[in-house]
Amino acid sequence: MNVQTPVRLSAAEEAFVGQLESAGASAAAERFRIIGLPTRRVESYHYTDLKTLLSAVPPLARAAKGASAPVIDIPGAYRIVIANGEVQNSGTAPNGVIVSKVAGATLTTRDDVLMRLNSALVSESVSVELTGHVDAVVHIDRRMEGDAAHVQSGAKIAFAAGTKATVIETVSGSDAAHMGNAGSYVSVGEGAEVTHILVDLSARQATHFASVEYRLAANAKFKSVVVNAGANLARAQIFAEFTGEGTHGDFYGLNLVDGEQHKDITLDVTHGVPHTTSSELYKQIARGRGKAVFQGKINVARDAQKTDAKMMMQGLLLSDEAEILAKPELEIFADDVVCGHGATCGDLDDTWLFYLMSRGIPRAEAETMLIRGFLAEIVDAVEAEHVAQALGDIVEVWLGKAV
Amino acid sequence: MSTPLLEIRNLHVRVEDNEILKGVNLTLNRGEVHAVMGRNGSGKSTLSYVLAGREDYEVVEGEVLFDGENLLEMEPDERAAAGVFLAFQYPIEIPGVATMTFLKAAMNAQRKARGESELTTPDFMKAVRDASGLLDIKQDMLKRPLNVGFSGGEKKRAEILQMALLQPKLAILDETDSGLDIDALKVVSEGVNRLRSADRAMLVITHYQRLLNHIVPDVVHVFSNGRVVETGGKELALELEAKGYADFDEPNAA
Ligand SMILES: Nc1ncnc2c1ncn2[C@@H]1O[C@H](COP(=O)(O)OP(=O)(O)OP(=O)(O)O)[C@@H](O)[C@H]1O
Ligand SMILES: [Mg+2]
Repeated sequence: MNVQTPVRLSAAEEAFVGQLESAGASAAAERFRIIGLPTRRVESYHYTDLKTLLSAVPPLARAAKGASAPVIDIPGAYRIVIANGEVQNSGTAPNGVIVSKVAGATLTTRDDVLMRLNSALVSESVSVELTGHVDAVVHIDRRMEGDAAHVQSGAKIAFAAGTKATVIETVSGSDAAHMGNAGSYVSVGEGAEVTHILVDLSARQATHFASVEYRLAANAKFKSVVVNAGANLARAQIFAEFTGEGTHGDFYGLNLVDGEQHKDITLDVTHGVPHTTSSELYKQIARGRGKAVFQGKINVARDAQKTDAKMMMQGLLLSDEAEILAKPELEIFADDVVCGHGATCGDLDDTWLFYLMSRGIPRAEAETMLIRGFLAEIVDAVEAEHVAQALGDIVEVWLGKAV
Repeated sequence: MSTPLLEIRNLHVRVEDNEILKGVNLTLNRGEVHAVMGRNGSGKSTLSYVLAGREDYEVVEGEVLFDGENLLEMEPDERAAAGVFLAFQYPIEIPGVATMTFLKAAMNAQRKARGESELTTPDFMKAVRDASGLLDIKQDMLKRPLNVGFSGGEKKRAEILQMALLQPKLAILDETDSGLDIDALKVVSEGVNRLRSADRAMLVITHYQRLLNHIVPDVVHVFSNGRVVETGGKELALELEAKGYADFDEPNAA
């Protein structure tokens, strides 16, 4: 076969090619060899140049020997553990929840390197089907255990029509330089009222990627919350598509960045049918020399009249060397729509700080109160009490961490 | 004689290259209430901010002693712990910070600074309930984020609630009366009067004699162009009300 001369591969790229080949994914290996990791010249990776940022790829994960304690333990939740990519036995599911293993990955085909890697390397995924009013929170607990490993995992979450449920997915594990790449395909049936939460809590030296696809049927009320609070290098990609009329989606996200961390949330929302609405609120907070990136794109199809979509990014910079970047985009082909976006970024408001301090609250405590206040909107968006509590705890841990 | 609670000596303050305070002298003893009256823009709020410790003010000359200590060297929270309280002319809205959380943090911070133990939640709740009841503050207002969506008058009342809970030694009330309806003025004045005591002092900034019918001052200062130009008894306020400020302006004032 005559392929174009590939660019010189980096060590990380060589490792990916080798791993794809060893997994028997020769076509994917070949393709990867040609395309490589995205650089800043690839628009969707402009601020997250993986070719530069990814210096090494740990070996492909083997079965985990034992698991670490869950980083968050939500009281009353039904927990499904995926350790090093393998779906574990998970006890009796609550009423309205069916858990099974499915062969292969769960994501659709998109022109995205992380999703292609996930599709090529995931051998089994968990399938969670939810029906009716599911009182228990379902917690998909992905782990990266043992020595540093490259962990690919997949989940398919299907909310049947009329379902009311909350699903939280977390990633955590042993304290090693893992690299995770998680895929989730989430379908929301007609009239369902659903919250899906995705939290990265992996180790400080880890790298974690997540890709989530949402398909939203008619008359649903949907909420998505994404929090990056773990890995040194993290990217969460969210692709949402409104496929039925009358649906509303609230999209929230939070990048908590410090040290030398780099965290990216990339959102792509498509209003494909008329009469759907969405609001997008993403907050980023950066201290140390951290870098937070938000890219948000709202697409409105030609037929999607009466779309109403408002996207907002708010950044809070806590040090001079930290960076917060935002790239909002609207691509609108319909004419009768209300769409908007905005972005603000600044440090803590001096007049607010003075007001609190003038009441005797010391500076550090006053700052913490204001940061907490800044983040509250995201945490408070979650209705399930224990889940909101857990997210609040994650924020508190981050706030309390020495920098 | 004991040390005055507050002693401002020849205070000159600059904001962004403009001298706003041009030699303020004012002495306030424990147990006294002083009123400060003066034109818009004469520097009254600037003085109150400087006393509370806001940044962006450059003290170019003079000193301020609080209980004999150099007040200007202290951080705002230290001043509060020492007993200084400013009721803001324009209280600030802080979304995301719950009013009750704020009140508790403020009360406990000051207790901690004084070496006292933290308030228990029931004690705190009771203190807030009692104080807000006396000030006619609705409980659901306290469930909102700090000052967010409060009406002008509600904000002023909330300032006095904070003062009642924090029990400062020196209360500076910057136009607490503006924006209050007649009934609220009465309720708030009663709240202020309840706090009057032999070991506290108050600096009451106002444009209106009406407030001084409720909070009767011991001393009235006329403020003009960045300094105190006249000091007298409570009848000075009546004189001002009748004649306006023209007679008190400095010859070289604008
Ligand atoms: N940050 C600032 N930058 C520039 N000028 C300022 C600043 N703050 C205050 N000033 C000016 O200082 C002067 C005094 O203002 P101040 O608010 O102290 O007046 P005031 O006596 O409280 O007036 P009022 O009765 O209207 O409340 C005004 O001319 C004001 O414009
Ligand atoms: Mg003023």
